[in-house]
Amino acid sequence: MNISVRTLRSYWQITPLSLVLLCFLVFPILTIVIVSFWDFNAYQLLPDFTFDNYAYSLTSDVTLKAYINTFFYAIATWLITLTLGFTVAYYLAFHIESNLMRNLLFILCTIPFLTSNIIRMISWIPLLGRNGLVNGLLTGSGMVDHPVEWLLYSDFSVILAFVHLYTLFMVVPIFNAMTRIDKKLIEAAMDAGASTLQTIFLVIVPLCKSGIVVGTVFILTLVMGDFITVRLMSGGLSASVGVLIYNEISLLQYPAAAADAVILLMTILTIFSILFRFVDIKKEL
Amino acid sequence: MSQDDLTHTSEVPPSDNTSPENPSRRTLIKAAGAASGLALGSGAITGFPMVWSQNIKNVTLRQFGTGVSNINAIAEKAKEDLGINLQLTALDSDAVAQRAVTQPKSYDIADIEYWIGKKVFPAGVMQPLDISRLKNFDKISSLFVTGKLTEDSTIAQGTAPHTVGFVESKDSTKFATEPTNWMTLIPTIYNADTLGIRPDLIDRPIKNWKDIMDPAFKGKTSILNIPSIGIMDAAMICESMGEIQYADKGNMTREEIDKTIDILKEAKKSGQFRAFWKSFDESVNLMASGEVVIQSMWSPAVAAVRAKGIPCIYQPLEEGYRSWGGGIGLAKHLSGLELDAAYEYIDWYLSGWVGAYLMRQGYYSAAPSTSKAFMSENEWNFWMEGKPATADILSPEGKLMEKAGAVRDGGSYMERMGHVACWNSVMDENKYMIRKWNEFIAS
Amino acid sequence: MATGQRKRGFIPLTLLFSAFLVFLYGPTLTIGILSFQGPDGGLTFPMNGVSIHWFKALFEEQRVGDFGGSLGRSLLLGLSVTMLNTVFALLAALGYRRAFKGANLIFYLSLISLILPSILISLGIGIMFDRLGLSPHWYTSAFGAHMTWTLPFGLLIMFAVFNRFDKAYEAAAADMGATNWQTFKYVVLPLVLPGLIGVSLFSFTLSFDEFSRTIMTSGTFNTLPLEIFGMTTNVTTPVLYALGTFTTALSFLAILTSLLLIAANRHRQSRRADTP
Repeated sequence: MNISVRTLRSYWQITPLSLVLLCFLVFPILTIVIVSFWDFNAYQLLPDFTFDNYAYSLTSDVTLKAYINTFFYAIATWLITLTLGFTVAYYLAFHIESNLMRNLLFILCTIPFLTSNIIRMISWIPLLGRNGLVNGLLTGSGMVDHPVEWLLYSDFSVILAFVHLYTLFMVVPIFNAMTRIDKKLIEAAMDAGASTLQTIFLVIVPLCKSGIVVGTVFILTLVMGDFITVRLMSGGLSASVGVLIYNEISLLQYPAAAADAVILLMTILTIFSILFRFVDIKKEL
Repeated sequence: MSQDDLTHTSEVPPSDNTSPENPSRRTLIKAAGAASGLALGSGAITGFPMVWSQNIKNVTLRQFGTGVSNINAIAEKAKEDLGINLQLTALDSDAVAQRAVTQPKSYDIADIEYWIGKKVFPAGVMQPLDISRLKNFDKISSLFVTGKLTEDSTIAQGTAPHTVGFVESKDSTKFATEPTNWMTLIPTIYNADTLGIRPDLIDRPIKNWKDIMDPAFKGKTSILNIPSIGIMDAAMICESMGEIQYADKGNMTREEIDKTIDILKEAKKSGQFRAFWKSFDESVNLMASGEVVIQSMWSPAVAAVRAKGIPCIYQPLEEGYRSWGGGIGLAKHLSGLELDAAYEYIDWYLSGWVGAYLMRQGYYSAAPSTSKAFMSENEWNFWMEGKPATADILSPEGKLMEKAGAVRDGGSYMERMGHVACWNSVMDENKYMIRKWNEFIAS
Repeated sequence: MATGQRKRGFIPLTLLFSAFLVFLYGPTLTIGILSFQGPDGGLTFPMNGVSIHWFKALFEEQRVGDFGGSLGRSLLLGLSVTMLNTVFALLAALGYRRAFKGANLIFYLSLISLILPSILISLGIGIMFDRLGLSPHWYTSAFGAHMTWTLPFGLLIMFAVFNRFDKAYEAAAADMGATNWQTFKYVVLPLVLPGLIGVSLFSFTLSFDEFSRTIMTSGTFNTLPLEIFGMTTNVTTPVLYALGTFTTALSFLAILTSLLLIAANRHRQSRRADTP
């Protein structure tokens, strides 16, 4: 009796969460799935049951190209943010002795992440353009004769913007995991004769595995679903899956967009179900 | 080209706005009065019964469209003259089409281009306008009624505004082949577009659309990424290159689309383009920062580049212009007092002030004759007649646009609008074209 | 001795960290400087005079758009998301302290909600509202869209908080005869308060800056990120940079305020601990 009352309390406590998920996650996804089988013309959705949208997406070079682009951006961004994020977190967690200093430096890292993403993206443009600050410095110092063109509107600028936008999502979970590592373990490793690198890779990395996985999840999902960074930073020249879907949305081809969305959904769920094999998120937080 | 000719050309064939309509017009005004009386009686409007035109003071209308004409200054002036509150939302062209169809309840007035109208109107989310309720209807340029600038001009390819300008009846969504009493959009703004160039960075004369594909400009060109407009620029380019001879650029066959897109893909692969742009201000930034030296552009974008003290020419080309037109239409749900206010607003829109405001930015007013009264002779001569400015030409915000002595690129209204090769359009193969366009952008 | 060894690599790491900070702040500073362009200045260097013209322009009417209105909407939306989100996340985390049927299902749904690309949620909610004949508004559909992102976030943070929560305090309170409500109010709540502040901070910043989820769900009026996006395509003057500088300053203030609040709270708690 007592137990069932307590369980009942649990149920009402998770009711708001469940309702939000039901109304704004489950139903919308169902809608997408249904609409992905519909037909459409220039201005209307036509209820139907057709596999055309999937057939088109799954056989088109464009989809393939977009997925290759997307994975390229995702993996490149992941590698860079992981290295950078891990190093920064390591420095903060193990090299800064004073708590106050550590917190201050940490906050210093987070402040830029509170500016509008779009503004942070476009703020690269005056730096990287053909007549931008960087090219001004390069040509001015005689390092290059002609302005470097690939700094802007290229894969380089897209990945640069991603790294700039999202590194914090890697730093925070890794830093969080590192602060929970018992320092005695590291001392023990050192005393046992492990080098710094050995300590990092044999002790610290395994112990902050959960942080790395959480960071990875954020980076992959943010990059794979992005459309605005790719569009702005590639000057509209490159397309990721997100850009493809967004283009279809803006051209009113909802069923086509829905089919692409379902394919993306499947891809992401597959990737993450593999990723979550490595770590029990709930326990490791 | 005298002014009389212009006003003459804007006259409408008698059958469209004379006697047959007048009785119905009177009854409609009565009906409108009754409708507002009803609104009063039902307590929709609080306060004492007033004369009709004052009641609309309490009305708020939500208008959305592109940044081109959703300008706050227009809302302010509407408030001042009519007392209505105009709430504006500015979006890019794609988002405009999307919202027009999918969120018809989110707006009262749609400010859209004619090719968007061709997509939106058949969806049944808008209601046609009763032209007999508009005092200024007969001031509208014949270009939007019969499609002809002058008696003997030929109609350009593409979605020419008059072809989607009328529907058969009040409840019809089928476009009429002849002018009727029911107009889909009241035209407000239009222009003839061509390529913009940076004369200081280009050392040879630019004469044709194909010049954008010159390897000398590799990595320094841009075209716009709005499929329905971009495909037309692309068609102008391909035709100019001698690669493709289109039967009708405004309504391509699948093979023509394939060929066009292949040429674009090839150019993209070889690095001809620096970027693609979606809204005209992006093109301003590309041009002003020197990222691009030749690109498809819209007239006010050229003006904006020049306003920064950077030379930029809106280059007339041998093959002619690609033209576009926009208008305002009513959402289906609009009724009663709000509908009356919307009619009043649209009539006001045509009455000159807005037209003059738009013309000072380099567009054309759909009712040029009314706008003339709101412009100085110098302004009119510069923008419409293509004559050298006798004094400095200022923007609506009062910024210097052109120094005295300057002449408008491309010349007079007749010179420019008379050389339109095609209109922005929606083709029969629209779905196919958009897919192919997407392939090009993603390639 | 171990401490001394760990210091190895301190100097290169400090250099790297400084470089990271320069990388982070470089663009922000660039637009900070450019936002003080003179009235005729453009979007790129060189500076064309120095003025606060563009900050003033920010609060005057623009040629197109409505900056003030969208800022107001975004603040309101952010605050309401924050409030409800904090409450919902706390409730759900409390619920999860006991085992119940369906716990895993809801948890995995939350994870999916977290990892789904925003554009999918936006598209789904947009079409759903359209098909149901509902008109989207920033305070209904966009609100829900934001919650699908902030709520799982909040839930995970609260999980982390409760994972480190010592149940002995609660047991002690119950032993001393406190009711459930009293235990919650006087024991649990103060202990998880820093976590809750974290949740609300996260919720607010995530919602305030959410673009993709809002794009198809905001209805008639724009929120600030949509307005900014509109401005990137509609504006050719440094007013855009002024806006960036202004919002950065605003976020900075928000952080400062919440830090002070946390500090004040700690101070109060330690004082309370001192006086028996």
